[in-house]
Amino acid sequence: MSIFDMTFPSVQKAESAATDQRVRHSWRFNPLLGLVLPVGIAALWELAVYLGLSDGRLVPPPSVIAATLWDLAKTGELWRHTQATVLRVAAGFGLGVVAGTLLGAIAGYSALTRTIIDPTLQALRAIPSIAWVPLFILWLGIFEASKVTLIAVGVFFPVYLGVMGAILSVDRKIVEVGRAFRLSGPALVRRILLPAVLPAYVVSLRSGLGLGWMFVVAAEFMGASEGLGYLLTDGQQLGKPAQIVAAIIVFAILGKTTDWLLTAGTAPFLRWEDRFHARQEA
Amino acid sequence: MLSLARVTKTYPNNVRALEEFTLDVAPGEIVAIVGGSGCGKSTLLRAISGLDRPTKGLVHLDDEVITQPHEKIGIIFQEPRLLPWLTVAENVGFGIAHLPAAERKERIARTLDRVGLSDKADVWPRELSGGQAQRVAIARALVPRPEVLLLDEPFSALDAFTRADLQDHLLDLWADSRPTLILVTHDVEEAVVLADRIIVMRPRPGRLFEEIDADLPRPRDRQSAAFDHVKRRVLAALDRSLGRTISVDDRATKSEDGAAMWW
Repeated sequence: MSIFDMTFPSVQKAESAATDQRVRHSWRFNPLLGLVLPVGIAALWELAVYLGLSDGRLVPPPSVIAATLWDLAKTGELWRHTQATVLRVAAGFGLGVVAGTLLGAIAGYSALTRTIIDPTLQALRAIPSIAWVPLFILWLGIFEASKVTLIAVGVFFPVYLGVMGAILSVDRKIVEVGRAFRLSGPALVRRILLPAVLPAYVVSLRSGLGLGWMFVVAAEFMGASEGLGYLLTDGQQLGKPAQIVAAIIVFAILGKTTDWLLTAGTAPFLRWEDRFHARQEA
Repeated sequence: MLSLARVTKTYPNNVRALEEFTLDVAPGEIVAIVGGSGCGKSTLLRAISGLDRPTKGLVHLDDEVITQPHEKIGIIFQEPRLLPWLTVAENVGFGIAHLPAAERKERIARTLDRVGLSDKADVWPRELSGGQAQRVAIARALVPRPEVLLLDEPFSALDAFTRADLQDHLLDLWADSRPTLILVTHDVEEAVVLADRIIVMRPRPGRLFEEIDADLPRPRDRQSAAFDHVKRRVLAALDRSLGRTISVDDRATKSEDGAAMWW
């Protein structure tokens, strides 16, 4: 193992594992190739509107979207809305992760608890989470509490399922090593089960985060005065498609960035993995 | 003194894996347990380790009854079972996390040195060969200084050369602190190389069938006539344990065939 493997977080490795398995036997393509399609389409559309082939009213060209983003940024509106949305996702994600991890770990570790709580949680999971919206509004009002709760519910299930499933599939032989060294209860969870499930845990955190971004939009649709979801409804009601696309782009950037932060932040803890992809670089 | 008194293990599906097994092992003694498949060798080891409880009977270490894993009893499995998220040094120190850091570090370094892997202290288990990984597993079991060390076919997954190497190495390590060793093995030669006493078990239900003393001088010469004699006695006992009676005069040849068949 080189010093680079030791210190360099393997972010892109995990990101592009699927792609790389496919092209493994040919070349390592330049990742910038992925930009060709979207940039090409944007340029073509810009050209079409410029040449008058379309008026670009319902589908605004990139230049108009960029101008809208710039205007929103200049007035501070973009920052205000982004901040509101990010805070909601952060709060909901935090709550959902804590609850999902705790319950998932307990249900994975204790068969009795699992028998008691898992059927109920699975039934609750079967409910489309948006269906809770009216109830949450009745219970918690239309302000932050109901929004954060909805996001937390969305994040909770993938994390709970991921942690529980991963604990249940931890190699019995490894657990026995823990038992042979007289570990049980919290010590066994901390020293054997949690490290063993960490790779699967990161995956469930990532899908939880994705759902968090999905649910924040739903939450902000249900009556918000700020947030990127508000920009979306506002753009629809006032007929400003450029504002809608601008908000969508900000969502894309935020979603991708937070996902990257999550993988980059956890990569140092996963250096030990004996992964297919890591082996090729070793 | 480790003593087993009429230890019986019946699994929930009513399989009697072990029946009325009684054995006393003196401190520092090396006992090998051999026998056909299903004779309860592994069940026996798990009962001694406290990982499983016997259905009936008791396992005593000195004055204590063993019902769960005990700090004076270490175990080495067939596979190294290293924790992949810990470095080699951290794996070796896994069982002594309660000790102060300085002593922990000192013991880990000394034990790694004893198994010849000082240079591997900071690598991940994935980078070790099979033999190296098993040496780390041995180091991990030895670091808490157990009085009894259980080995469940510890070298069976290794190639013949590495196996012989590790057998000598194990004896070397054993000589440091002379723990009691209880070794379950498929390999009759391994049993004769290592053990003071060889227990032959009989399957269905698992029982003690015969005890054979192997009081050969150490280090043992695998080519010597005395060594071969003990090996033949064990093989013959194995044959008899499986109900294959053989006449005395052609025992030598027959039991060689049996050796290929018994497991």
